[in-house]
Amino acid sequence: MECRVLSIQSHVVRGYVGNKSASFPLQVLGFEVDSINSVQFSNHTGYSHWKGQVLTADELQVLYEGIKLNNVHQYDYVLTGYTRDTSFLEMVVDIVQELKRANPNLVYVCDPVLGDHGSMYVPQNLYPVYKNKVVPVADIITPNQFEAELLTGKNISSQKDAVEVMDLLHAMGPDTVVITSSDLPPRLGDRFLVSLGSQRHVRPDGSRTTQRVRIEVPKVDAVFVGTGDLFAAMLLAWTHHYPNDLKTACEKTFSVMHHVIQRTISYAHELAGPGRRPSPPQLELRMIQSKADIEDPAIVTEATVIS
Amino acid sequence: MECRVLSIQSHVVRGYVGNKSATFPLQVLGFEVDSVNSVQFSNHTGYAHWKGQVLTAEELNVLYEGIKLNEVNQYDYILTGYSRDTSFLEAVVDIIQEIKKDNPSLVYVCDPVMGDHGAMYVPENLLPVYKNKVVPLADILTPNQFEAELLTGRKINTEDDAVKVMDLLHEMGPDTVVLTSTDLLSKHGDQFLVALGSQKIRKPDGTSTSQKICLDIPKVDAVFVGTGDLFAAMLLAWTHHHPKDLKTACEKTVSLMHHVIRRTITYASEMAGPGKKPSPAQLELRMVQSKADIENPSIVVEAKVLEKSSDQKR
Repeated sequence: MECRVLSIQSHVVRGYVGNKSASFPLQVLGFEVDSINSVQFSNHTGYSHWKGQVLTADELQVLYEGIKLNNVHQYDYVLTGYTRDTSFLEMVVDIVQELKRANPNLVYVCDPVLGDHGSMYVPQNLYPVYKNKVVPVADIITPNQFEAELLTGKNISSQKDAVEVMDLLHAMGPDTVVITSSDLPPRLGDRFLVSLGSQRHVRPDGSRTTQRVRIEVPKVDAVFVGTGDLFAAMLLAWTHHYPNDLKTACEKTFSVMHHVIQRTISYAHELAGPGRRPSPPQLELRMIQSKADIEDPAIVTEATVIS
Repeated sequence: MECRVLSIQSHVVRGYVGNKSATFPLQVLGFEVDSVNSVQFSNHTGYAHWKGQVLTAEELNVLYEGIKLNEVNQYDYILTGYSRDTSFLEAVVDIIQEIKKDNPSLVYVCDPVMGDHGAMYVPENLLPVYKNKVVPLADILTPNQFEAELLTGRKINTEDDAVKVMDLLHEMGPDTVVLTSTDLLSKHGDQFLVALGSQKIRKPDGTSTSQKICLDIPKVDAVFVGTGDLFAAMLLAWTHHHPKDLKTACEKTVSLMHHVIRRTITYASEMAGPGKKPSPAQLELRMVQSKADIENPSIVVEAKVLEKSSDQKR
């Protein structure tokens, strides 16, 4: 498989978020990963302390310039996630547009990180950039419910709402949308959460068809960081192998998430000791230890096709 | 296996040198790798063009400070390679000294990159820093012939010279030394190059003995970049699994290098086309494609244990 991904995300010295979360699993699955580190921090910002440096939009452009001058700016995928800076994000858009002009088949996988549980955790001025510039060039997006609602201006109170929101997102650009988590009531009970996906295809005769899926995922009583980054990377991988089968791509992606998370929470509890809440360092994803699951995830969550 | 490596090396957006070369194979082998990127360049400097940014010594200290404040500065290994800046290298030395004070069993794997084929390709003022500060802290050292000669002030013309130079390097600090390549004539002919290794083993009675080995490695007609970084990382891994058996550790390391290089040259020649010399971009190591070899390298090079093995008082 010759498949090259340009991933523009954070780097942390210790732990698994951003490029640290995305690169290893993609490489394990045989993807060539070119990685631009948008920041270099000691660790993610959920620890008591964090220190480091950020890449400016100019510096990003300089790096891309180097790649271009050598004529090696051919990519099959671009992958982006958490960003805090509008000028940086706008530079990313320019790069994606240029790469897409060179290769119209390029797939841009975008995690539109804006916030969760009802509030934004990036600067507000990123929102119009995502809405007006980023999402329109994305092919696959992985918003959570809050981000999906923010981008479309429509609230999700039912599965019907979610389907409408995903259709609105399709109309904005991406043919594949996965709402990674929602507050919708799970059929399997309150130990689960509901995720949904939608993939739009154009038939040879020009007509459109949409496959929609619903997945119920076991909830875990802990806050993980870097899981969204791992999710987007693995969705990239599994939609690559199953480009017309969102059901299977989602089953594999959600299943690998489950294995990594279970392994992580077990280990974290072991380290923390009985009755103690694990700390952020203890909760770092057990990425390396999950290599076999990454390579071939046993399916533990089934996706239901919904009309 | 719970083993954490702090690797302070370059990052390139595209390709496999520095941390890009070391991290994936170590992770594949189950090591946790904390990586400080000393630079971020578009690609290595052998391409027609390269662009990017460097980390200053101060910025390095800031990153280490973050790790320290969170009390997660516990490492089993430190790994360093190519450096161009004396103040950066000195900041690295300070960090290593501090981590070693906390954990005296920490193993510092150092590739003392200074040059090759008779010429330095880093600033000259790095030599005294390596000689006086870095090498004394190192536990495992992977110099090529030129670097070994530079550090010891002694030329290598025969196998005997190589043995003496490795012993001199032991006295400077590291208990494990691998001369990754030399100009020595191989018994297998001129399609091979000779590498040597020496590992000092300290006995309970205070004396030490050393195991010395040599390997004849098939030459490849191409210039690769990042192979030294891969070598040091894999030597870290295999000496971890075979801490008292340098012969086996080297056989695995050198064999893995062979598999990666073969796969790379085959692919590069394919990409370049018949009769054409592959470009730097085409010669990037086929790292991701070599995962199975990394996990379990089939042995294709045998190391020979040399007759002479010194018994010395400590």
